[in-house]
Amino acid sequence: MTGGNTFRKSKRLVPKDMLFHLLDSLRKKYRLIGPVLSGDQAVFRELQSSRELFMEYRTTMLSPGKLFIYRAKEDLFRFHNNEGIKIEEAPPVSEKQIIIGVHPCDTNAILYLDRTFMGAYKDPYYEARRKNTVIISINCLQVSENCFCSSVGSGPFLKAERGYDMLLTDFGDRYLMEIKSKRAEELFNIKGKQAGDRDMEIKRDIEKSVLKAFTKTISVEGLDGLFLRNMDHPVWQRTAEERCLSCSNCVLVCPTCFCYDLVDESSMDMRTTRRFRQLDACQDMRFAGVYGGNFRQRRSARLRQFVTHKLNQTVQYGVYGTVGCGRCITWCPTGIDLTEMAKEIRRSEKDG
Amino acid sequence: MNRLKPVRARIQGIKKEALDVKTYTLSTESLPFSARPGQFNMVGFPGVGEAPISFSALVRENCFEHTIRSAGRVTGYLDGLKEGDELFVRGPYGKGWPLREAEGKGILLIAGGVGIAPLRPVIRGILEKRELFDTVYLIYGARNENHMLFTDEFKIWKEEILLFLTVDEKSKPHPGSPHRKAGDKWRRECHIGLVTDMLDKVTIYPERTIAFVCGPEIMMRFVCRGLLFMGIEPSSLYVSLERRMKCGIAHCGHCQHYGLFVCKDGPVFSYKQVRGLPDGLL
Repeated sequence: MTGGNTFRKSKRLVPKDMLFHLLDSLRKKYRLIGPVLSGDQAVFRELQSSRELFMEYRTTMLSPGKLFIYRAKEDLFRFHNNEGIKIEEAPPVSEKQIIIGVHPCDTNAILYLDRTFMGAYKDPYYEARRKNTVIISINCLQVSENCFCSSVGSGPFLKAERGYDMLLTDFGDRYLMEIKSKRAEELFNIKGKQAGDRDMEIKRDIEKSVLKAFTKTISVEGLDGLFLRNMDHPVWQRTAEERCLSCSNCVLVCPTCFCYDLVDESSMDMRTTRRFRQLDACQDMRFAGVYGGNFRQRRSARLRQFVTHKLNQTVQYGVYGTVGCGRCITWCPTGIDLTEMAKEIRRSEKDG
Repeated sequence: MNRLKPVRARIQGIKKEALDVKTYTLSTESLPFSARPGQFNMVGFPGVGEAPISFSALVRENCFEHTIRSAGRVTGYLDGLKEGDELFVRGPYGKGWPLREAEGKGILLIAGGVGIAPLRPVIRGILEKRELFDTVYLIYGARNENHMLFTDEFKIWKEEILLFLTVDEKSKPHPGSPHRKAGDKWRRECHIGLVTDMLDKVTIYPERTIAFVCGPEIMMRFVCRGLLFMGIEPSSLYVSLERRMKCGIAHCGHCQHYGLFVCKDGPVFSYKQVRGLPDGLL
């Protein structure tokens, strides 16, 4: 998806100004998207100028992948009922865009969404946007209190070699710029000093110091067995009954949650029906309901579904559903913390 | 290709099977699709929605069948349609019954209620190539006789396979029921009791038997346990699961069953795959 395979995986040190200047000139052909400061919060939005960028942001409420590649709402069809029904298909169009400043957790989240929407069955809307999106990731130096990417291997420095276009590391007034795709090689042909062994050593040293800043951790070893042995652990019911509001914040801010609902909306004269999809949440009461029953009637079952989908259920794609971004913890109105739930189960197994 | 795009299907025939169940014979103008026993379509109508419905008969001469109980919004709408009306389908989706695996072996088919519908293509497949299989049993249970489907086919089925019928309660033919014909021999042969009671009637060689089970999940729970007691391996025991579905292509997430997509990885699973999973009854 990021062009051909033959390109130089060059590593260069480039002045930040030069990169920003080039990005501004690319705005003629690409929509430029990046993190900006809005009040006290960083958000990903379309930029008029690279000067708006706030590259030192810590975290955002919504991930760039679920804002600009997998959309919260997508028009699919219009059914016109005029003596027989005609189907009008919403074409999967997408303008070219560059998203800069994607943290490793959110980059990995996009790779995760790829497994759903570009796996066994391809989604034409997602695929079109994905192919037209240049992703410039940046290694993360700003650890927040709820971040646990270092525990699940998705950050703070990005290890993935493909699926995105370029990786930046902040070297003060310069970026260490690592090219990861052919189109990035063509687009970002900036003169700069080739990065040598010494520079890569500096990068590793930065990573080491960032790793020390993490306060939240989770031990992923043995999680599969742990959860399957403890499906009836009191932590599920207690947390669900005392704190969980089924508000679905966790699901909606999660960068890997992909569930959607298909909705039909008919015009008042019943001549036109619009079929669209929009994000849905497993915390919603009717999410797993069928005629005559509901497989997750209890709130505790719905909470358990979210937590285990992130920390277990690896049979699905062979990877964990979490990227350790901590958003579900940050945005839970009652502060439910999935890492704490896992720890509690582990503790009770040791004590028991 | 947008797999969410439905195609128009025309109702060529409607047969009332039971009080609230009809079989729709459908044809599509363009779709040269072929389905396997146990697979399903998303069936629906713009403005109403779509529901996952298994094939009760596979494509033949560009026609296929869905047997549907009027239960929710979509199926209730379908219930009001007439011959010649149109509806919309997309599919086929999912993994079906592993009939090839059953060749040379005995087969135990166990159905409850409308769970007989996805097994009907299996029964027909067996009848077409009867010599490929050893003894075939069908145990079929329903609430009462008026809820039994495909009753006019029992006679043909019985020529080739062993049929055991059971009902929760006996009932008189309902005035609106299609089963009023006197001399329906199968009525007299109906046992009263649970599907699991019928397991005592069959003689199987566990290592050379494959079981296909479809019905309410609580029924399948106890049938599967019964079959394990009889010595059948969990890997030779198949169940078809029902879950809420919106897309049918492992995207929308509604049917997720502890990491499995029921629409893509199922709806037919070996018992080994789904035994003991959370939020299920197996």
